[in-house]
Amino acid sequence: MTTKTKNGAVELSFDKDSGVAILTLAMAGGHNKINEEFGEGLLEASEWALGQDGLKGIIITSGHKDFCVGADIDMLYKERDAERFYGRVRELHQGLRRLETCGKPVVAVINGSALGGGCELSLACHRRIAVNDPKIQIGLPEVMLGVIPGGGGTQRLPRMIGYQASLDIILQGKQLRAPKAKGTLVDELVESKEHGIERAKAWIAENPRAQQPWDRRDFKFPAPAPTSTDARDMLLAAQAMLYKKTAGAFEAPKLALSAVQEGTRLRDFDRALEVEARYFTQLAMSDQAKDMIRTLWYHRTGAEKHKDLPALAKGQDAGIKKVAILGAGMMGAGLGWVCAKAGYDVVVKDIKQEALDKAAEHVAALTKKRGRHLTDEAKKALEGRIKLTLDLGDLEGTDLVIEAVFENIDLKHAVIKETEGVLAEDGIWASNTSALPISDLATASKVPERFVGLHFFSPVEQMPLLEIIAGEKTDERTIARSLDFCKRIGKTPIVINDGYGFYTTRVFSTYLMEGAQLVSEGHAPAAIEWAARTAGMVIGPLQVFDEVTLTLARKAMGQAEKYMSGRARADEGIALIQAMVDTHARHGKSAGAGFYNYENGKRTGFWPGLAELAKGTVEASDVREVGERLLLIQAAEAVRAVEEGIIQRNRDAEVGAIFGIGFAPNSGGPLSYIDRLGAREAVAKLRDFAERFGARYEPPKLLVEMAESGKRFFDAV
Amino acid sequence: MADAYIFDAVRTPRGIGKDKGSLHTVRPTDLLVTVLKAIQERNALDTREVEDVVVGCVTQTGEQGTCIARFAALEAGYDNSAPGVTVNRFCASGLQAINQAAANVAAGWSDLAVAGGVESMSRVKMGSDGGAMFDAQAQWRVGTVPQGISADLLATLFGITREQADAFAVESQKRAAIAMEHKRFDKSVVPVRDDSGLVVLERDEYPRPDTTLEKLSGLKASFEMFGTQFGLDSLTRRVYPQVDRINHIHHAGNSSGIVDGAAALLIGSKEKGQALGLKPRARIVSAVSTGDEPVLMLAGPVPATELALKKAKMSIGDIDVFEINEAFAAVPLYTMQKLGIPHEKVNINGGAIALGHPLGATGAMLLGTALDLMEERNLSTSLTTLCIGGGMGTATIIERV
Repeated sequence: MTTKTKNGAVELSFDKDSGVAILTLAMAGGHNKINEEFGEGLLEASEWALGQDGLKGIIITSGHKDFCVGADIDMLYKERDAERFYGRVRELHQGLRRLETCGKPVVAVINGSALGGGCELSLACHRRIAVNDPKIQIGLPEVMLGVIPGGGGTQRLPRMIGYQASLDIILQGKQLRAPKAKGTLVDELVESKEHGIERAKAWIAENPRAQQPWDRRDFKFPAPAPTSTDARDMLLAAQAMLYKKTAGAFEAPKLALSAVQEGTRLRDFDRALEVEARYFTQLAMSDQAKDMIRTLWYHRTGAEKHKDLPALAKGQDAGIKKVAILGAGMMGAGLGWVCAKAGYDVVVKDIKQEALDKAAEHVAALTKKRGRHLTDEAKKALEGRIKLTLDLGDLEGTDLVIEAVFENIDLKHAVIKETEGVLAEDGIWASNTSALPISDLATASKVPERFVGLHFFSPVEQMPLLEIIAGEKTDERTIARSLDFCKRIGKTPIVINDGYGFYTTRVFSTYLMEGAQLVSEGHAPAAIEWAARTAGMVIGPLQVFDEVTLTLARKAMGQAEKYMSGRARADEGIALIQAMVDTHARHGKSAGAGFYNYENGKRTGFWPGLAELAKGTVEASDVREVGERLLLIQAAEAVRAVEEGIIQRNRDAEVGAIFGIGFAPNSGGPLSYIDRLGAREAVAKLRDFAERFGARYEPPKLLVEMAESGKRFFDAV
Repeated sequence: MADAYIFDAVRTPRGIGKDKGSLHTVRPTDLLVTVLKAIQERNALDTREVEDVVVGCVTQTGEQGTCIARFAALEAGYDNSAPGVTVNRFCASGLQAINQAAANVAAGWSDLAVAGGVESMSRVKMGSDGGAMFDAQAQWRVGTVPQGISADLLATLFGITREQADAFAVESQKRAAIAMEHKRFDKSVVPVRDDSGLVVLERDEYPRPDTTLEKLSGLKASFEMFGTQFGLDSLTRRVYPQVDRINHIHHAGNSSGIVDGAAALLIGSKEKGQALGLKPRARIVSAVSTGDEPVLMLAGPVPATELALKKAKMSIGDIDVFEINEAFAAVPLYTMQKLGIPHEKVNINGGAIALGHPLGATGAMLLGTALDLMEERNLSTSLTTLCIGGGMGTATIIERV
């Protein structure tokens, strides 16, 4: 006989014969997210189950596609009252404690993704059984949003699997595919949800008095024990690795490590949860977390879902089946592979057989590296969709041409004229230029309304961003079709207006050139790199300059002169790059010689010649100020892009900078960085820098106005 | 202010701080008992006169926990009225103990004390007491790295090369060998015996007199892998962002040895000495500790020396004998370079590279060595200084009377 009931969060059933209660998470709206309603619903459900006569055990599973993908972000984002927030966290902890100390076995049957709080709910169960499906993700991604697991994850997981394995997941915010989670986040894999329920019932029958290990009197922390020197050494190494990776710019992983270290020293589990709750609250209330959540959650999902972007009419198809790529370099070949993987028929054309041979190698390497999970058949099909050719005729009937030839406007014009004829009737011509204005390129086109900029980032199979540039005449339908293509190849779009360097390139150039300028001023190169990284930049300016090559910048200087004349520039930085390329043959990483020396493609230290090329000397760099300069010079450029209407939605400034050029994710993006500083303070700093370091720091007009009116780019929380 | 005098100084020989070391079977308390008894016997001391037993010990856990000073004094047969206190200023603990005892005498709050230090590194492992320094929060808020990384950073910042460090190490071994050959330590070293009176260790056993530059050049830098692969070097960047690469130069052969041992000095006022018929051997002129940047950690001997000289109204040239603890070769090399001290005046009988560095005891051992040296060579002043974890330094100037 089965009894059933439900509340706002959970559907409950109790089967008298087996004595098993099943709590099915089924919040309205199709998603289970942890908020007050969820907490109350779960607690009420547990009490209901515990009140059933003859209860032997409880199974928690989900009625939705996902098990539970974490906390209600709105609640996390908007809350600024530490006391109230802390109180809620403690209530959640107590609810989970009630479940795990109820005296009956509780089993989680993870039938869909269990992330963040959802994963933590499963950790509070006595056993985790997951459906063996690679689409199911299980993990603790909290640090990616500037917070730490706050539902007991920093305390339960180390006590389950020890320091090393748990820190590996917590500090990196890892999400594991279900099949890979066995042994860490999952105890058992099953074929289906039904199979899972069956196994859970069996486990309940075998373990009538389940207890969490940490609630047993004979609990032993998985070696090394918290107070041992081995644990001390391991945690010191974890501190060091974290510092090496993040330069200390991200608070969440640091405090996650503190929470793990301090909490695991406590024998009393409830008090250990208190340690976590205090760190969680501290982070959740911080500006860094708010800014990261806004950009990395709201803006990112907004961009991914094409919120406020042109869309195809209902039922309309983008009409893109065949994609042709002109130019078979790293970008062309990589892009071909990405498109083929998404199911497009792809033609990659070049004028040299040698280039095609290399492209073939690159494609094979990508399949090997990034297509590991594919079956042999799928791999073959993927590569079969790519045709490498010298023959223009193979492009006949192409729905989307993406040009990735050398950055020269005359060459591009010639290519457009030569090949536009192969387009299908409704075909789109796209340029992957990183700087040349789309409207200028489109002058060579007969159909400028179907001419668009699709700016990809290298390595294209890895970089998530696609910068879509609307030329003066590009029509909305072309943008909508481009967006459809963007979604199919799994990229995150920003859609911006036309102008030299678009958005990302112009912001990025200021970063690179300021790096060169700082070298010329006499700062130790190592201090420049470190300053950038402590400010949050993913890669130091000199390292990344070498990667994009100095030669590229050197060649672009002429273009920049043409399009950006009259703008104050980093003159000494420019002179440095000229000298490095023209006189010293320091072309960049690919040439094995740039700001760094290289051996077999690996950095072996800075080129000692930099010291002689420097115009000035600096006794000891003020790392904080150097970091501020490197962020502010970019932020000011981003504001100019807003001012000039290049940026149409502020969201794109943030998403573009973080996902395209590695702008400091801890800031939330260049506009968030300004907001956090306050427009007034930003203007004051820029003026100070302009006076001391050059007119390129002069604050943009828009920013000065904002400083006067007290405006922000994003609403304060 | 009154003056504090040193009446006597003794130490145990230093045993290799490993399972195979001679003193490994001896409890740390017994090491301390050995020197406390020697002080009592050599001076026919009525221990009812002892107003404190101040003992430096770094790793105060396990059998070195629970105030080893008090229980060693009681086990040594000191009168119940002689209290004990154990102090920790990391590697300078032994000198700190002396300085504290001396300060009390100088203040007139105490007339006679035994001060020294003990460490059985073979039995109580360095760092096994856990500690505030290893908290992640200390890392985020302050920054800490293992000493070896600091030592290599010090060398990198001040251009000290592997060759210089190795040459210094060979010289330390050479000097220690000569000192031992001429029995220069015998005046103060008391053998460690078991309860049957059998000798467990009579002389220092750590020195490797056959050390050569060539042999050292084959040794692998100890902290290179930790520094580069485990990322520990990057922890120094928050303070030294300009340092692109740390030059890892230190290894077991040019760093201090891990050893077991204990030392004790008898310290008191002139009047108490006269009353008990004790002959003062030296006067404590100044005793200071200083704090400095904790990531570089080991540069402390320079400010400590400068402050000790300032308090004593002396200049560097006034000091005849320097004992600068050889925690790592770079430390004395840096101190000599920075303060312009000639090597001839520094660690004349060798140092911790050859003889070993029993953490909590070393400061007291070095002061005793300096005293013996001054007497033997008829010199009048010495300065003893040690680098210390957390970026501190301690220095003590004494002069013969």
